Amino acid sequence: MEQRLDWTLTEALDYDHGRGDPFAAAVRSTRMAMIITDPNLPDNPIVFANRAFQQLTGYERHEVMGRNCRFLQGGDTDRRTVARLGEAIAKGHDVSVDLLNYRKDGSRFWNALFVSSVRDDEGRIKFFFASQMDVTARIDDQSRIAQEKARVEAEVGRRMAQLQNSLEAQQLLLHEVDHRVKNNMTMIGSILRLQMREADDPRTKALLRAMMARVDALAAVHRSLYQSEDITRFDIGTYAVNLAQDLGQAHPDSNIRIRADLSRAEVPAGQASAIGLIINEILTQTVAPPEGQHAEAVVTITATTEGQEAQLTIDVDGNRDAAPSGLGALIIARLAAQARCRVGWNATQTGTRLHIAATREST
Amino acid sequence: MTQPISPLDVLVVEDEFLIAMDLGMIIEDAGHRVIASAASLQDVEALPQDNRPDLALVDMQLARDTTGLQVNALIRERWPGTVVVFVTANPKKIPEDFEGAHGLIAKPFTSLGVTAALTYLERVMHKVGPAPAAPGSLVTAPALAALRV
Repeated sequence: MEQRLDWTLTEALDYDHGRGDPFAAAVRSTRMAMIITDPNLPDNPIVFANRAFQQLTGYERHEVMGRNCRFLQGGDTDRRTVARLGEAIAKGHDVSVDLLNYRKDGSRFWNALFVSSVRDDEGRIKFFFASQMDVTARIDDQSRIAQEKARVEAEVGRRMAQLQNSLEAQQLLLHEVDHRVKNNMTMIGSILRLQMREADDPRTKALLRAMMARVDALAAVHRSLYQSEDITRFDIGTYAVNLAQDLGQAHPDSNIRIRADLSRAEVPAGQASAIGLIINEILTQTVAPPEGQHAEAVVTITATTEGQEAQLTIDVDGNRDAAPSGLGALIIARLAAQARCRVGWNATQTGTRLHIAATREST
Repeated sequence: MTQPISPLDVLVVEDEFLIAMDLGMIIEDAGHRVIASAASLQDVEALPQDNRPDLALVDMQLARDTTGLQVNALIRERWPGTVVVFVTANPKKIPEDFEGAHGLIAKPFTSLGVTAALTYLERVMHKVGPAPAAPGSLVTAPALAALRV
């Protein structure tokens, strides 16, 4: 009882009053708000409150002494946290909570409250010691960080949606352009074919037919690119076989048989038109019979990739002995230089062997 | 040029006049007959009922905001025996089951490609000889395979 009186007395004493208890003086003058409550009195009232507590809460000492500290709570104080606190105190456990408290003037602050029990030698709780710290800034920071995080996430979501939209717009544009290119190529083909019918002179007709075949070859390149999985790659083996089949079927009176042994042999799309035209020149000159004539040929097409090169071999076994001439020869030479591919042309015992080697990657 | 075993009566549905004319000439060069040209669904509706084509080549985007799919539906109802082949620059617009149509020729087509497709279709429709391999220019639909059995 004497001791308790000393505590109470300490509250009234100044540091330099000479009472001489350095611990009491420290508790009294520390910046940490502290109170002591007595659970052995009705409603566990405050029996000590230091100066920092008075400064934190705005209450004078005489206004808090003898009261339960629940007067610090207010309308927005979380009831569950209060219940947790009450339960710990009832059981005599230490407890640490962040609690929304109210000052005398009604302003709010976040209180990092720590409560521990003080027991006597028999283990009976004599006091509760509680320290309070204003952590409003920390809680605000946390909520600001949470808000900022939500804002950034919303922004990321918005940008993702924008990207998605712009990707879809681009795909739409690509399809639209593709569609128009194809329609225009169809028109060009139709106009050329119609013009060809007007030509009486066989030489003009033959020239227009060669022109037509080149436009058709370009159209076939475009079609094969846009029908494939990867529009950036062009498979020369498949293309050559399709072109040769079209030639064969266009001349049902001739006997043109096609054999194919194709592995993947791709070149970049940028080279597709040039190489497609080269293959067209080769096939029309070696496989297609001259107007009104019958052809007998076996065409063997082999495609592979060796190292950095796509390789295409066309063996024409039959009655043709055609080295390229005229515009055809010029087109092959110039386009081969442009597309950096090598075109070889050898006579074999029974026909002609053509070989094209093109780099797989853009140079 | 080619002599067909039995010439086909062909309907051309295409809103570009030049392309329709070109297709018509390719068809006639191959020995078949163009019995009518139409630019829209309404044009096809206006054709006489008894003028049944063996084959219809149908573009997708047609005049008067009509589509090749609508024309196909009309033909399926009106002339169930007619083989419909879409001729389009937009093959992705065609549903996977072709809605009962028989195939497609991708634009830009070549005269060789169309001729080869006509030859193939004629052989399948008249069940001439063993089933030939479809040419590269023609994408075949399930309905066409059904004709061969």
